[in-house]
Amino acid sequence: MKGTVLYAVIAAALLGVCVPGPREAEARLSLEKCTLCHGKPEFRKILVDGKIQELFVTGDSLKGSVHEKKTCVDCHFDVSEIPHRERPRRVNCTHCHYKGNAEGAPQSDGYLAYFESVHGKAIARGNAKAPLCQDCHGSHAILKAKSQASLVAQGKVAETCGRCHIEIYAQYKTSVHGVAVAKGIKEAPSCTGCHGEHKIYSPKDPKSTVFATHVADQCSKCHASVSIMGKFGIETEQVATYKESFHGVASQFGSRTVANCASCHGTHDIRPEADPLSSVNPKNVPKTCGKCHPGANANVAVGKMHVDAKKKEAGIVYYVASFFKYLTIGTMLALIVHIVLDMYGRTKRLRGEK
Amino acid sequence: MTAASGETPKSATIVRMSLMFRVQHVLLMVTLLVLALTGFALMYHENWIGRGLIRLEGGILYRGFLHRAAASLLMAQLLFHAFYMLFTREGKKELGEFLLRRRDFSDFLQAIRYNLGTAAEYPLIGKYGYKEKFQYWGATIGILLISVTGLILWAETFSMRFLPKLVLDVTLIIHGYQGLLAFVILLFWHLYNEHLNASVFPMNDAWLTGRVKAEWLRQEHPLEYEKLKQEGIL
Repeated sequence: MKGTVLYAVIAAALLGVCVPGPREAEARLSLEKCTLCHGKPEFRKILVDGKIQELFVTGDSLKGSVHEKKTCVDCHFDVSEIPHRERPRRVNCTHCHYKGNAEGAPQSDGYLAYFESVHGKAIARGNAKAPLCQDCHGSHAILKAKSQASLVAQGKVAETCGRCHIEIYAQYKTSVHGVAVAKGIKEAPSCTGCHGEHKIYSPKDPKSTVFATHVADQCSKCHASVSIMGKFGIETEQVATYKESFHGVASQFGSRTVANCASCHGTHDIRPEADPLSSVNPKNVPKTCGKCHPGANANVAVGKMHVDAKKKEAGIVYYVASFFKYLTIGTMLALIVHIVLDMYGRTKRLRGEK
Repeated sequence: MTAASGETPKSATIVRMSLMFRVQHVLLMVTLLVLALTGFALMYHENWIGRGLIRLEGGILYRGFLHRAAASLLMAQLLFHAFYMLFTREGKKELGEFLLRRRDFSDFLQAIRYNLGTAAEYPLIGKYGYKEKFQYWGATIGILLISVTGLILWAETFSMRFLPKLVLDVTLIIHGYQGLLAFVILLFWHLYNEHLNASVFPMNDAWLTGRVKAEWLRQEHPLEYEKLKQEGIL
């Protein structure tokens, strides 16, 4: 055993790769030693605030997880003696998950974005309630995000975020998107669908995917796609008609006060138009428009909201636009004909005068 | 120069636009240009022309401010012009010249027939012929209508209380197309009549000097020429 360690140290020195030093390696604690205490089901601790923290961990805790082959001290590496005198520090995932790590732990720049995110910055400021990796991904039973059972899987991530964002989760759960996700619809957005995964920013941060001027683009990722919306019988032209409207144009050119999709449809509480609780239900439209246009009444619900003057469905708007189109073309042609005739007649007159 | 002499030198000029009208014309030109540039910027925002114009105008909010400032000036001009034409001596005289008569329509038809070669004589035109009258009344009525739709859209929060959204959508369409129509008429009517035709090229400079050549008046407005001769002004 000692021989292999020696070879490893020499190899490491030659390759210039950093591996745990000999003393640390020798001091590694085995699973059996940890479970002397942690293996007892009644092993728990009463915290200062009266909450009970379960400390029961066995060799099976990592089974089936991505860290199946790891042992306690691979992550809790600050524990070097048993029993540990101090509470072990929170696990730092970047100990292994950094680019070019020898362990082969997955790492992409996406993870690094966390440090710039609203959560990462809150941690850096010393907010103990802000989430670290393990708060979303789980601590012992970490599964690949693609796995259905993972805490960050499309179907489960809302519940995970909802552990802290309780009110938002309650709104989202009954929204059109929340209901769709609960039904198992893969295309429906969960929290991360709109907010992003690691690079989550405050909606007031211009970098955020849900910043006022980015909302339309974010929604249109799905709502402008015929292949996605076609499956659910939802129109895709809403994005284009919004962009053609006063609101859309002002938003495209940088106005932050103008209405975007969320201003009218809501954010976490988006519901279908037919739902009486929907902010875009005809009965609620006056109130919704009234947020920006004080005094708005039932008049605002008369006519289509998303109008495309180029399409027949727009009704009178289409016919008025078409009338003016042909009137303009007709006028232009008549004026050109008049010019040509005048040029001809004028030449005749001017020559006759000479 | 007297009527008795009968001959008018070719270099003689006559006042056609008083200073008052020249000032109004320049103001109208400037405001219409600003309105067109800021209006079409919004109407054609999706292509490079619109985007370039919006950038030039300092962004979408400043574009709107410029458009409404120019519109306010235009509407003030419209009111002033109406007042001037109705209540001043010069205005009343000019308005009388601009009133539409049956003769204007027959002049128009005769001009077309002459240009087509089916009439022997070009109609004898007075101070303002069908071309000037079409331009004048077209602009006046056009500005009046586009002001109404513009005001409805400007006060959108107020309008929303009284007008259904459908009507506001139609108003927006009408406002945009009215602007386009006005632009088309200026391009194909005014530009040709006052700049590009052989008798005035490169331009009829009455809008700057206020004066036109007596010879040009004789060719284009013979009845006015005769009238001025008889009055002894030419």
